[in-house]
Amino acid sequence: MPVPDRLVIGRSDKMRAVFEFVDVIARSESTVLITGESGTGKEVIAGLIHQTSRRRGAPFVPVSCALFSETLIESELFGHERGAFTGAIKDRPGRFELAQGGTIFLDDVDDVPLGMQVKLLRVLQNRTIERLGGTRLIPVNVRVLAGTKRDLRQLVAEGKFREDLYYRLNVLPLTLPPLRDRPEDIPVLMEAFLGRFFSRRGDPPPPISAAVVRAFTAYPWPGNVRELENACERIAQMNTCGTIRIGCAAVNILLRASEEPHPVPQPPASAESSERSLDDRLREFESSLIRWALDASHGNKSKAAAMLKIKRSTLGDRIRHCGLESAPESREVTDRDAVGPWLAS
Amino acid sequence: MVTKERVEAVLGRVRPFLLADGGDIELVDVEGASATVRLSGACAGCPTAHITLHLGIEAALRDAMPDFGTLRVG
Repeated sequence: MPVPDRLVIGRSDKMRAVFEFVDVIARSESTVLITGESGTGKEVIAGLIHQTSRRRGAPFVPVSCALFSETLIESELFGHERGAFTGAIKDRPGRFELAQGGTIFLDDVDDVPLGMQVKLLRVLQNRTIERLGGTRLIPVNVRVLAGTKRDLRQLVAEGKFREDLYYRLNVLPLTLPPLRDRPEDIPVLMEAFLGRFFSRRGDPPPPISAAVVRAFTAYPWPGNVRELENACERIAQMNTCGTIRIGCAAVNILLRASEEPHPVPQPPASAESSERSLDDRLREFESSLIRWALDASHGNKSKAAAMLKIKRSTLGDRIRHCGLESAPESREVTDRDAVGPWLAS
Repeated sequence: MVTKERVEAVLGRVRPFLLADGGDIELVDVEGASATVRLSGACAGCPTAHITLHLGIEAALRDAMPDFGTLRVG
């Protein structure tokens, strides 16, 4: 099945809580303030909120308030009339009008200049806009979602964000967790992104070595899901053998991951001297090495045998010899619970 | 100052991942400010892995030792 471009994925408790929140507020018309670091998927979640709302048939208009200068943002949001300023050669509707009946997502709302914040507040209160250079009030039926990567309350305390606008926006607060706080989602996201990028080049989803999953799970992803997505795209462009191995991963990811405690299971040190016989101690050491290899290979016995540089059949014999028959088998990822509701691009 | 120990310290941060993937990176020699390493395992024959590891490890060596010269992959 092709993987959609805009998908929200997570089996972690934190992402399940986000999905539940989106589900609960699906029928609401209230403003949602989405807070999250860069790359955590604020716009994707805003789109999901729109898609699950009654407004799903009407436009969803995302706009980053960080993109426009103080003078341009008013025209972008509210539009202008012909002759309002030099270069305004015709009437132009703003983003609020384009979102009529639907949802507008004001991302980076903390970048709205203080002077404009008053006008935005008035629009949110009166549900009418006035185009730049215009005189008539245009009613707008638009649900407002806002996004920010900063702590708006802190900005209010510093006098950089209007308190009244903050309360107007912060009706339904939603915080998106950074990827480093939900590492259990990383393997699922890797599979989804690599599957998508490989399918674009006409190839089946690639097997991913346990070592790569370990490294990617230990790396703290300061750029969050967007950085992980880009890393997967780079791998898909560079990969030649059809399997994702450690040689595909950028060295800076490995170096940073190596600073985390226990990024890959280490072979255990030999047991302390004791009363036990050499044979017992050797068997114990052999068991721990086999357990280490099985753990590092996610229970794949062929890979574990390759890591220990023995035959697959020999590994089976040694497992029996050490009484490890109940060693963990491959850990299957169940996609059913892993993929949340998604948006078609 | 480029020494075997300092080169090994950088390689040692990447090596556990290569080992876990059935490969390895071995320091063959340090000559002056340059070093030669040998890759083994499944990625050893992959041209893109060579570029990724070569450039990435060389950059890491230069971060650790600003006077580091070049890294050769044998």
